[in-house]
Order: sequence, then C-alpha cells, then structure tokens
Amino acid sequence: MSDLTEDQIRSDLDSILERRSAGTRLTTMGAGSDDLDDGRRYLATTVDGGWHVPTWPQQHGGRGASPSQNALIGRLLREFVVPDLYPFAIGLGMVGPALLAHGTETQQDEWLRPIASGASIWCQMFSEPEAGSDLANVALKADQDGEEWVLSGQKTWTSRAMWADWAICLARTDPDQPKHKGLTMFSLPIDTPGVEVRPLTQMNRDAHFSEVFVSDARVLDSWRIGERGEGWRVAMTVLAHERAGGGSRGGGDGNARGVRVPGWISDLQALGVAEEQVWRDEVSKIYAHDSVSRWTSQRAADEARATGVPGPAGSGAKLRTVKSYKDRAYLTNRSGGSYGMLSEGPGYIETMTAPSMSIRGGTDEIQRNILGERVLGLPGEPRLDRDAPWRESRRGLL
Amino acid sequence: MTEATGVDELVTETADRLFTQICDHESVQNAEAAGAAPEIWSAFAETGFPWISIDEDRGGSGGTLLDALEVLRLVGYHAAPIPAAETGVLGGWLLASSGHEIPAGPVTVLPNGNNITASVSGDQMTLAGTCTRVPWARIAERIAVLVEVDGQSMVASVNPKDCVIQPMTNMAGEPRDTVCFDGAIAPASPCVAGVNPESFRFRGALSRAALMAGAIEKMSQLTVTYTNDRIQFGRPVARFQAVQQHLVWGAQEAALARMAAETAGREANRGPAFFEIAAAKLITNQAAARATKACHQAHGAMGMTQEYPLHHYSRRLWSWRKEYGGDAEWSKWLGNAAVSQGAEGLYALVTGGSSVLS
Ligand SMILES: Cc1cc2nc3c(=O)[nH]c(=O)nc-3n(C[C@H](O)[C@H](O)[C@H](O)COP(=O)(O)OP(=O)(O)OC[C@H]3O[C@@H](n4cnc5c(N)ncnc54)[C@H](O)[C@@H]3O)c2cc1C
Repeated sequence: MSDLTEDQIRSDLDSILERRSAGTRLTTMGAGSDDLDDGRRYLATTVDGGWHVPTWPQQHGGRGASPSQNALIGRLLREFVVPDLYPFAIGLGMVGPALLAHGTETQQDEWLRPIASGASIWCQMFSEPEAGSDLANVALKADQDGEEWVLSGQKTWTSRAMWADWAICLARTDPDQPKHKGLTMFSLPIDTPGVEVRPLTQMNRDAHFSEVFVSDARVLDSWRIGERGEGWRVAMTVLAHERAGGGSRGGGDGNARGVRVPGWISDLQALGVAEEQVWRDEVSKIYAHDSVSRWTSQRAADEARATGVPGPAGSGAKLRTVKSYKDRAYLTNRSGGSYGMLSEGPGYIETMTAPSMSIRGGTDEIQRNILGERVLGLPGEPRLDRDAPWRESRRGLL
Repeated sequence: MTEATGVDELVTETADRLFTQICDHESVQNAEAAGAAPEIWSAFAETGFPWISIDEDRGGSGGTLLDALEVLRLVGYHAAPIPAAETGVLGGWLLASSGHEIPAGPVTVLPNGNNITASVSGDQMTLAGTCTRVPWARIAERIAVLVEVDGQSMVASVNPKDCVIQPMTNMAGEPRDTVCFDGAIAPASPCVAGVNPESFRFRGALSRAALMAGAIEKMSQLTVTYTNDRIQFGRPVARFQAVQQHLVWGAQEAALARMAAETAGREANRGPAFFEIAAAKLITNQAAARATKACHQAHGAMGMTQEYPLHHYSRRLWSWRKEYGGDAEWSKWLGNAAVSQGAEGLYALVTGGSSVLS
C-alpha cells in the first residue's frame, strides 16, 4: 500500500472513529475494568483498514505499512478514542508479532486476522510457581504422541485466562537438555479438556489473573510454534515485544488534538492542588519524565521495526513507562488529601495496581540486568545451570 | 501524668500473644469482607487493652500512654481489624477528660470535625451536619464528638443510633463511614484544660504513627522471610544484591518509624509534644511510602494477591498515611515551626523539640 498523507489518514479515521475530547478518560491496563465490548467494537471497526496493526500484512488485518507510516498512524490514533485494549493486548502486541516471526503460513492464516479483529483473545501461559523471573525453569511438560502432544503441569499469574480463547504456552519437551534448550512453544485452546482456570483475586480487587492447571491436555502438532527445542527463542520474541509495549497502543492518557495538558493534570487542577508550588514541582517533574518515557518507547519501537526484533531498548522503555505510571498514581492519590484514603478516593485503583507495574512483564531488576549485560556489557550473573541438564539443575546447583 | 520511663513488658507480651492467636491472615481477610470482627473485638476487650491509659476511677484500665501506644503498635503489626485507637487514646481520652461514662463497647471519634455545627443548652448538645471518614462508626457504641462552643472545648457522647451512618471504606477495606448527625441530641460537658481540637489532632497523628510503625515492621519481616524461602535461578532471591537493597530499605524504614513514634510517645507522656508528634507522623508517612515500594517489589507477583498477607499492611499504610495529616500538612507545620525560631533558634528547636516551642 502506498503511503498516505497525514490528512488522508485523519480523514479515513474520522469516518470510523470518534475524536478524543479533553475530557476523555480511559482505564489503563484493564485496572478495575472487565469491559471487553469497547475493545471488540473498536477492533472490528478498524480491522478492514488495518489501522490498529498497520505493519501486519493486509490479509491478516494490517495494511503492510512502512515503519514511518506505522509511526504516523500510531501518533494520529492518539487523537481518537481508542479504548483500553488490555483484554486483547497479548494477541495484538505479542502473539501476533511472534507468529509473524516464527509461525507457519497456516498458523498465520488461521490466527492473525481474528486477533486483529478482536474476535479471539489470547493469554500468555509462561509463568509457573517455580518459574517467575527464572522463566527458563518452566516445568509444565509436553510429551509427543504421534500427531499430538500431551501437556501436564501448572501455570500461574495467567492474565486474561478467563476471557481467552487461546493461550500461548511454554512447555518442557526435553528435561535432559539444559534449561533453555529443552523448551517448546505451543498454542493451546483454553477450552481443551484437562485445562482448568482458577482466577486469583488481586489486591486491587480485579480477578484478572489465574492459576491454570493442565492435566493430559492434548494439542495438535500443527499448533506448535517454532521447532521443538526452540521455545526459548520464541519466548524471547514474545517478551521483547511485551517490554517494548507493542500491545499497549490504545487506552491511557492520549491527547485530544490541540490539547497539550494531559488529563491527569487537568484532574489535579480540578482538585485545586495545582496552585501549590510543591505540587506544581512534582507535577512538572512527572510531566517531563512522562514525555521522555514516551520518546524512549517510540525510539525503542522504531528500532524494533527497523531491525525486525525489539532489542534491549525495550527494557529501558519499560522501566521508564512503569515509573511514570506509578508516580502519577501515587501523586493523584495523595492529592486528594485525606479523601485519598477512601476506596472511592482519587487514584485508588491506580495506586492498588501500581506495584504490579514493576513486576509484570519482567521485574525492574530483571530489566536492569538486561540493560547491564546487553547494553553496558557488564559481566553477567554467575549461571552454573546453563549447561547442566534441567532435570539436575531445576532445584538449584548452588 | 506519671512519668514512665518505658513500656510495661507484660503489655507487649500479652498483646502480642493475643493478636497472634486471633488475627491471622484469614480472620483479617474475613473482617474486611464482613466490615467488622466482633470476635476479635471481644477477645481484645476482655483483656482491658482498649482502655489502657484511662484512669481506673474513670472506668479505664490504668497504665500509661506509652503502654497504650505499644498496644497500638501491635495492632498495626498484626493488622488487627478493630477500633483500638478510637476507643482508647482518642475516644476514651475525650470521654474521660469531660466526665462522660466510658461505655463497654467500641467508641469512635471524628478525625476531622468538618461541617459539624453544635448548639448547647444546659448539658445537652444538638448536632447537625455530616462528617466523612469516621472510623468504625457502624459498630461504635458511642461517638465522642469534640467541638468548640464559644471558645470552650466540649465533648458530646453521641449514640450512633441517633445518626444516619453510610458505610464507606478506606483503601484497606476498614470502615471509614459517613455520619450524618441531623439534629442528634446528646449529653455534653466541657473538657479539662489541654483537651481541645488542636491537641486532639496531634493525638490522632500520634496514634497513627504508632500503628504505622507496627505495620512497617511486620511488612519488613514478612519480606525477609519470603525472599529467603523464594528460590529463583537456583538460590533464594534474598541472595541477589538488588533484593537485599529492598530488604535493607524495609528494615531501616521500620527502625526509623518505630524510633520516631516512640520518641513522640515518650515526649507526649511527659507533656506537650507537638514538634515530636508532627515529626513522627511525617517520618512514618514517608517511611511507609518507601517501605511499601521496597517490600512489594521484593515479593514479585505473590505480593499482589489477596491470598498472601502483604496487602493487609501495605493498604493500611497507604490509608493511615493520609489520616490525621498527610505529608504536606505536617511538612508545613514543621516548616512554620522552624521559621518561627529563626536561624539562631533552629539548633535549639531540633535538639530541644516541643520544650522550645511552648
Ligand atoms: C499483574 C500481573 C500480571 C501478570 N500476568 C502474567 C501473564 O499473563 N502471563 C505470565 O506468564 N505471567 C504473568 N505475570 C507474572 C510475571 O511475569 C512475574 O510475576 C514476573 O516475571 C516475576 O516473577 P515472580 O513474581 O515469580 O517474582 P520472583 O522472580 O520471585 O522475584 C522476586 C524478587 O526477586 C527479584 N529477582 C529475581 N531474580 C533476580 C535476579 N536475577 N537479579 C535481581 N533480582 C532478582 C525480582 O526482581 C523480585 O524483586 C504477571 C504478574 C503480575 C503481577
């Protein structure tokens, strides 16, 4: 598709989407909301134009856009009401790109378009009770049985599992290989017999993540993503896209056209705290940091598009983005004075969600380890388990 | 007031043992869902702990303010879902210092006497207006309402049945109800000297500092235990230096908060302690912010679930931080105090505290 001008894009979007006004407020990352309909409607509306995932091929719900065209569309979309796409984020931001990189043609044909149109929701079954930061310690096993695989084990913290149609599931196929080598990635319909989803309630009262128990669940070999033993490589693609925030376009604090002051600042103004010098200082600091975060994320995303693989810049972007979220949440919550103590107070749900931002998608510490090792070239942590068979190393060699 | 040098050790031991028995993760969780914990309250009341520091001849349990604050520290430490501060050092104190009877059940107070109007005729007070964020009003037997009428501080002992109470909660799910007085009539009498809205506000802040010191300490201990048990990359995560930094933050904030709260308590037990209390509330507020960040981060996803107890403490701390004065309010107060002494007086203020101000 040839590149469109800014005005052409805006007028095409105008015909299908509503403009954002200064008063538009949306939830961020699903906090406190169980709404699927807004996102589904938006994706169904934008899929024919390929507006939400412009770089994907047209037949899969994109428009084959160049990196620069994609960046422009992303910027212009911020002028429109794009709902919080939290329920759809794994498919749009992580599974989609991973399928484009590692999936077969049949898999792409079957799965990409429903992701782009909002018809199917995906979740990410990576973490396990003993595999959090140490993701390569995954124990859920998959044994081949002819044209099928039999999966057994337990996942945890699986966000969106109770909404999902499909899961992308990291499994151990060869326990005698070292931990990173014996893994394989599968797609798993969540209604497969033997899969049981048990929601866990978070302290913000959302029940958005679950434990998933898998016993003798059968999946087709044609649902395997990448080769047997290549699961870690596929997982790294997924995680790199997660850090780079590929799924998070939409929702949050975009600006109406011509409106410079972000919504969270107008809210503070309405509360009357913006007059005080100390508060103004804090607000301005966060605003500045926010802007840098956005540019860092954009740069990371551009870099990823140019090279085809998101790099360690995504870790820097994630660190900054979550710091912004947390700072805004805590400031808004405190700005309500003693009203801020109430569960109806300003910034309540954000404050209750804030700590998780530095944990989900890889903790701050892990992001810094990545930056230290891959950007600064600092010596890595001692890893005795790199070459030992996982069967021996899983409980620790130290 | 008697000058005590320390806390009665028996108080610490008995209260800690009691709360260990009756306040486990589940009972605290259930109390949040139910909006009250009658069994925890009765076990607590049976020991007489709610009325420590109120003279026995006034219907209290005797003991010093230091003992009462020690109990509050343990209430915070165990996240005990009961109106301990309201019944004793705040409400009980108000009732006792104005000659009212101390009821057998829980008492509450109005942390911010906002929008309340009172008219007195004889020994009756008629109240109007609505007060928000009233702790545990829904289970209180009396609301001790402190108001100034013609320059005289008076306390009315209001029966909550004469009010309309709308249940609300703080971030930790503890009751912070809206109370509408709407013409409630209650017996009222003047307070002894020194008991007034200002000293009440400071006493409220002191009670929260004690609660917060306890909660921070518990959070810090939970985090040390959890990170020593949690294995990733073949070793306890507590062996990672990045995690150890979080543990040190938790521990040092716990020590700082306790030191500040205890210093303020000691001074308050002796006489006016405005400066120490203001400092203690600000210090515990900020310690709470840093400690909750560090402890949550070290826990990973586990700390975000309702199934694991960390949130009992972190959510209480976020709430208590804003009660009886947030950071801005006490910073301003301390700033004004410092400015009032001038450059020459600053050292004397920092070392001498409230004795210099009064
Ligand atoms: C809201 C939420 C949603 C989530 N959704 C999903 C999901 O959809 N799918 C999914 O698979 N997972 C999900 N997760 C799980 C998430 O990926 C993990 O929580 C995360 O990787 C951290 O693992 P952990 O919680 O086990 O913490 P741990 O790994 O136990 O970490 C505990 C602490 O130790 C630190 N630490 C660990 N290793 C090191 C090290 N080498 N160096 C320095 N510090 C270290 C950590 O930084 C942390 O501070 C979600 C988590 C949350 C909170």
